[in-house]
Amino acid sequence: MEPGAPSGALAAPDRFFKYWLIAPAIFLLLLIGLFPLVYSLIVSFQRLTMLEADTSFAGLANYAQLFRDHRLWESLLHTAVITVIALPLELILGLAMAQLFLERMPGRQFFVSLLVLPTIISPIVAGAMWRLMLDNRYGPINQIIGWFAGKPVTLLWTVNPDLVYPAIIFCEIWQWTPFMFLILLAALSNVDRSLTEAAEIDGAGYWRTLVRIVLPQIWPVMAVAILIRGLDLVRIFDIIWALTGGGPGTITETISIYTYIQGFQQFETSYTAAIAFLVIAILTIIVVWAIRRMGLAK
Amino acid sequence: MSSIRKLSWVGALAALAMTWAATAMAETAAEIAVREAQKYKGSTVTIVWEAGLQALDPLNFSGPKWEELTGIKVKVVEVQTAEMFTKIMQEYRAGTGAYDALNVIPAWMPDLAQAGALEVLDPFVDKYKFRDELQKIAPTYRDNQMMVDGKIYAFPDDGDVFVLYYRKDIFGDPKMKEEFKAKLGYDLAPPKTWKEFAEIGQFLTDKLAPNTYGAAFFRQPPYAIYMFQERFRNEGGKFFDPATMKATINSDVGVKVLTGMRDDNKFMPPGVEQFGFVENLAAFLSGQTAMTISWPPYGRWAAGYGTEQEVLSWVPKSTIAGKVGYALPPGGHPELAAGFALAVASTSKNKDAAYLFIQWLNSEDVSLQRVQLPYALRDPFRDSHFASAEYQNKWPDAKEYLAALKQGAETGLLDLSLLQTDKYEEVLRQSISKLWAGEDPKAILDQAAADWDAITEKIGVDKQKAVYEGWASKSGAYPK
Repeated sequence: MEPGAPSGALAAPDRFFKYWLIAPAIFLLLLIGLFPLVYSLIVSFQRLTMLEADTSFAGLANYAQLFRDHRLWESLLHTAVITVIALPLELILGLAMAQLFLERMPGRQFFVSLLVLPTIISPIVAGAMWRLMLDNRYGPINQIIGWFAGKPVTLLWTVNPDLVYPAIIFCEIWQWTPFMFLILLAALSNVDRSLTEAAEIDGAGYWRTLVRIVLPQIWPVMAVAILIRGLDLVRIFDIIWALTGGGPGTITETISIYTYIQGFQQFETSYTAAIAFLVIAILTIIVVWAIRRMGLAK
Repeated sequence: MSSIRKLSWVGALAALAMTWAATAMAETAAEIAVREAQKYKGSTVTIVWEAGLQALDPLNFSGPKWEELTGIKVKVVEVQTAEMFTKIMQEYRAGTGAYDALNVIPAWMPDLAQAGALEVLDPFVDKYKFRDELQKIAPTYRDNQMMVDGKIYAFPDDGDVFVLYYRKDIFGDPKMKEEFKAKLGYDLAPPKTWKEFAEIGQFLTDKLAPNTYGAAFFRQPPYAIYMFQERFRNEGGKFFDPATMKATINSDVGVKVLTGMRDDNKFMPPGVEQFGFVENLAAFLSGQTAMTISWPPYGRWAAGYGTEQEVLSWVPKSTIAGKVGYALPPGGHPELAAGFALAVASTSKNKDAAYLFIQWLNSEDVSLQRVQLPYALRDPFRDSHFASAEYQNKWPDAKEYLAALKQGAETGLLDLSLLQTDKYEEVLRQSISKLWAGEDPKAILDQAAADWDAITEKIGVDKQKAVYEGWASKSGAYPK
């Protein structure tokens, strides 16, 4: 070797050195992220319950049970009903509020801050608060309705099957419309004013401008907001748990509540793991479909 | 001379031994626990306790006192009732040894014992000479809420029993009595049957509403399932066919009971379906209802006992102190609803210290002080509690109150306790909420029976049948 010539190592550095550097981080991520998933998958093929020591292999029995479990499919239906009603309402109300607050006005910042307050409350606290508000004995809601009706009213919002869904959806909208509002306000603030002004000059009305100019511009942000809220609604638990506990009977039981009951009240550990994988499968299909449909992957 | 000296030595030693034995015999279980626990000075006992008022006992009273006496710290882990079983099982399965001592609801004991989560206490009971004092626990609790398969797993520590509270001033009003007799043909008195209860409740509502309604109960499902279990058995119902282990709650008796519960709401305050423990308490203490059935604290608070304390500031001020009578609920066999027993966690790394703490808590001396704490919700469960002159003088009617609790303890009915009891109770909770939602009682119970059968099938009919036979053979399972 010529004196002063670079060593072999320096001349040809190890091509895999960079991978060695990131390997610990990847290992850690896999450990945290993938291991629980793989472990849950294994558990879903066992007969594990918290009450008995049996850990024998159950094959596909837990997955077969999913198809026979009417309560499971009803809970999925309840989840879908809440999502299908609450999501568009939150979107429409959020957009309307964002439009309202787009213009500069006195006290705008104060009111925006005030409107966003519900989103920073923990959902379980919000549910408990609304349970009290809707209580027939102590809550103000029935009293207010009574003033308008001119006589005392007894509306059992958390007991009467005709009233529980309106109550849940109202609370959900109360808490999460401000989230839509905030995101859409930010999106609307970035809409190119010259385009809307040009449309106005060309004679386009408010709706036409909104539909043809504004919405297409804010669509990517709106789509993300819809996706986030949609996923949140599919996972809805706290508000309903605090308001109705899934009742009366099981008519407001969502998939999250049912999973919780199976896992932590009925101690059906393996079956709960199977439910979790069913939900993962359903959500994956919906999310992939939604992302393609909304053009978010472009 | 030397033999005389030997003899005197032997005599002295014998006298010393006898003195020591007498001293030891005179030592109470609480004193033994304290003496033995001093060996573990500096350690910490972690105990699971129901969150809220219940936990104020170890936090404010027994925990600090135990530390003062023994040098052992008490760490209280407060857990909501609905989460207690789960937490205990999770910690047991994880083998963390995080808990040393436990509060358990007696109905959970078969599950916890079978899983191995509870330590068998017999060796400790003998080692620390607690057997005599255990025998002085009121028989219903001692014989039914302490053992699984003949082994002691927990010490009954809370005489939870339902009592009928009624307004003596209304029931004793001459005009009311006269009108009642004229209308219904018998004397106005605390109802002995559910038929009488409905008639009296309706009569009082007709006369006094909206100021005062005939009665109200807690109707939220977690509470109402106890009322169903009580009424169902008082009316002659059986939960299962012992031969087949098929559920029989959808019998005619079951339908009659659910129908009766629904119909009773008509003479109760509007919205009673939403009443929980506090709402019902508020209605009774404010004079809005003439009768109610609930746990023992209602009686104490209605008399105003201890309610001036800050921790009870949330309890509505009683407007009916001195006007409340105590009786057994209709049927005469009240539910020994829930209750608590003290146990040692099998995964504890400090079992002796944990055991000694619960022996001390449960002992005659200390438990008498604890059941008189107005805020802590522990109710009398020892013969000496019912007979305590100190307790009987706590308020003018305390003697009658304790007599009603004692009577309830003698005739009370145990909560259904099987393997995986909570699954059966969950079905009942759903059934009750369906009832308030307006569904047909027969349809509700048919579904409930089918659900119970499915649970039994899954657990194993023979396995569950054996547990049920054991439970049903207990003195408090069904009215005799």
